[in-house]
Amino acid sequence: MTAIATAPAPAPAPAVRTRHLTPERRRRMLLAGVGVACVVMTLVSLMVGAVTYSPADVWHAVTGSGQGEGGFVITHFHLPRMLLCWVVGIGLAVSGGVMQGVIRNPLAAPNIVGVTHGAGLAAILVVHVLPTMPSSLIPVAAFAGGQLSIVVVYAAAYRRGASPARLALVGVAVGALCNAGILFLLVRYPLNSSAALTWLAGSLYARDMSSFWQILPWVAVLVPLLLHYAHRLDTLGLGDDLAAGLGEPVERTRLITLFLSVTLASAVVASAGTIGFVGLVAPHIARRLVGGRHLTYLPVAGLVGALLMLVADTIARGADPPLELPCGLITSVIGAPYFLYLLTKTGKAGGR
Amino acid sequence: MTRTVGAVKAGPAAAAPAAVRKPQVRYGASTVVAVAALALVAVGIGWSVAIGPTHLGIGTIVRSVLVGGDSTDAAIVHGIRLPRVILAALVGASCAVAGVIMQAVTANSLGAPEILGVNAGAAFVAVASLTFATGLSSVSLVPLAMIGAAICGILVMVTAGLGRGRTDPVRIVLAGVTLTTVIFSVMQAMIILVDPSTSSLFHWLVGGVNVGTWSDSRTILPWTVIGLVGAMAIAGKLNILGLGEDLARGLGIRVGQVRVLGSVLVIILAGASVAVAGPITFVGLVVPHIVRKLVGINHYVLIPLCALVGADMLIYADIASRYINPPSEVPSGVVTAFIGAPFFIYLARRQKGDQ
Repeated sequence: MTAIATAPAPAPAPAVRTRHLTPERRRRMLLAGVGVACVVMTLVSLMVGAVTYSPADVWHAVTGSGQGEGGFVITHFHLPRMLLCWVVGIGLAVSGGVMQGVIRNPLAAPNIVGVTHGAGLAAILVVHVLPTMPSSLIPVAAFAGGQLSIVVVYAAAYRRGASPARLALVGVAVGALCNAGILFLLVRYPLNSSAALTWLAGSLYARDMSSFWQILPWVAVLVPLLLHYAHRLDTLGLGDDLAAGLGEPVERTRLITLFLSVTLASAVVASAGTIGFVGLVAPHIARRLVGGRHLTYLPVAGLVGALLMLVADTIARGADPPLELPCGLITSVIGAPYFLYLLTKTGKAGGR
Repeated sequence: MTRTVGAVKAGPAAAAPAAVRKPQVRYGASTVVAVAALALVAVGIGWSVAIGPTHLGIGTIVRSVLVGGDSTDAAIVHGIRLPRVILAALVGASCAVAGVIMQAVTANSLGAPEILGVNAGAAFVAVASLTFATGLSSVSLVPLAMIGAAICGILVMVTAGLGRGRTDPVRIVLAGVTLTTVIFSVMQAMIILVDPSTSSLFHWLVGGVNVGTWSDSRTILPWTVIGLVGAMAIAGKLNILGLGEDLARGLGIRVGQVRVLGSVLVIILAGASVAVAGPITFVGLVVPHIVRKLVGINHYVLIPLCALVGADMLIYADIASRYINPPSEVPSGVVTAFIGAPFFIYLARRQKGDQ
């Protein structure tokens, strides 16, 4: 339950007596729906797996009363993944939301601007080139890779300031370069590539509490820190000139927030693999629910991200047990249609 | 205001009404480039045939090609090396011409089939058909790949607001790249689920001509020819489109019609090359820029030279792919990406801010 406490509680559902729904009321109900769905999915995610248990079993297992069946499976296999879904979802969604604000482009997300690919390349490099290293080194390497890639992106995009457009395009190019490196390694070391592909597809298969503890401190520290910058992100959204006119040190704020959000994304990707589209889609859903102010929509985005992850991971485990689908595939399949809908919608508006 | 990013380097010609005539042809530069590119193709073919697990001498190659015979060397030349290099040339030419048409049609210096999701769409439909119906030949893959290319191309262009006179280059690139990412992640998952051990499906994640056969070359040849002839047929209109949409309309060009024709050609060229060689990245982006820099913006010259230089690029990428990691080979698509991505960064740096 600790993980739920990290995200702010959604607005309480208003008592609906009248039949007509004002936009405001509809919005609140949707928000409450997201909150309820989060709770329900948390429970369902504890139940579903290779063996599916009843809610009563989950209750007994979590309270440690010793009754009911499956106590060991629930606490040792289902619980870590549920918690992992929460931190991964929150981390990716908040990181994506901040990137969209900084790059001022609704399509920016960690897996678009090269961070995910950089982390992936570093992880696979370690797996293949230093096979004797302990596997605990993989998250460290992925983290370093993600950081390094954004340093390269920022440096290459810098030309009397890093304009959002150049950041996005250079990010795409660096991502392509890292992707080529990943594919090269996959072809070069075909024997290990099955494991590497699983990591790349973002599977939470067989994760235990250690992954959760690896991600939690980053989320616990960086998300509040990013929320601290929320107002400045709003100012940045007005455009460079206006923001500078309002006394905002544009370049410095951009660098700091970008760095923090990339750190968050690399920490998540490092431990959980490349899970796509949560960082892209969750902020959009949140913005539609509560509007564009960063301070309000970033927490909601975190909630939506967690919900997406819970749904995706539950489907991944429950669709065809005991076989498990990669969670990243499910998030892509859920996220892609929404993304396409988004594209056509913004396309009609005719650009920013 | 329509951006004519592709023609930015043309200087004042894009703006001044006095320059509303055929873009000048730099005859000297064009001749030099043409001769050099042809020479490189010839050398590249020889080099490519010579190297591999068994190195062949010039004499052996010439004898095998002219006389034939049934020695092992002749079999290697005819059965493995020649089809491979011919395929590289055809695919490289197709990719480059698709790139030059697309850059003109989208008025976007970053508009290349691999950037805008066209190649990914083609590869996706190919993989999907192969997983559901194993043993499809590359001939029957061509139309399927073209359908995929068309769907994704249309999707990206429509959503990025093309045809309404507003093309934000960053927006269209991000739309294309995001679509490409979706498609590739689904493709990766399909490969994991079907059979992670078959490296043959990797082919669709990163293209290459390593396993090219004569039948592959025969499959792509007619489409390459159609694409090239078609491109030359609309070259004049592409030139006028390069002056800007409003000016082109004023000069009596049906802009929409030219765009549709150009897009059809792109789909033909990109779809066919993906069907036989997988998604080769960055040839369509890089080659038109280099050639444009050398010979100017007249498409009558640009298109054939792009075809030649594109063939060069893929032939030499394929040669490099054999030197990087002997005795095994790197897919040529990886090599082109390593060349092309830094070039993309260079282009991105030249983009103006989005204010």
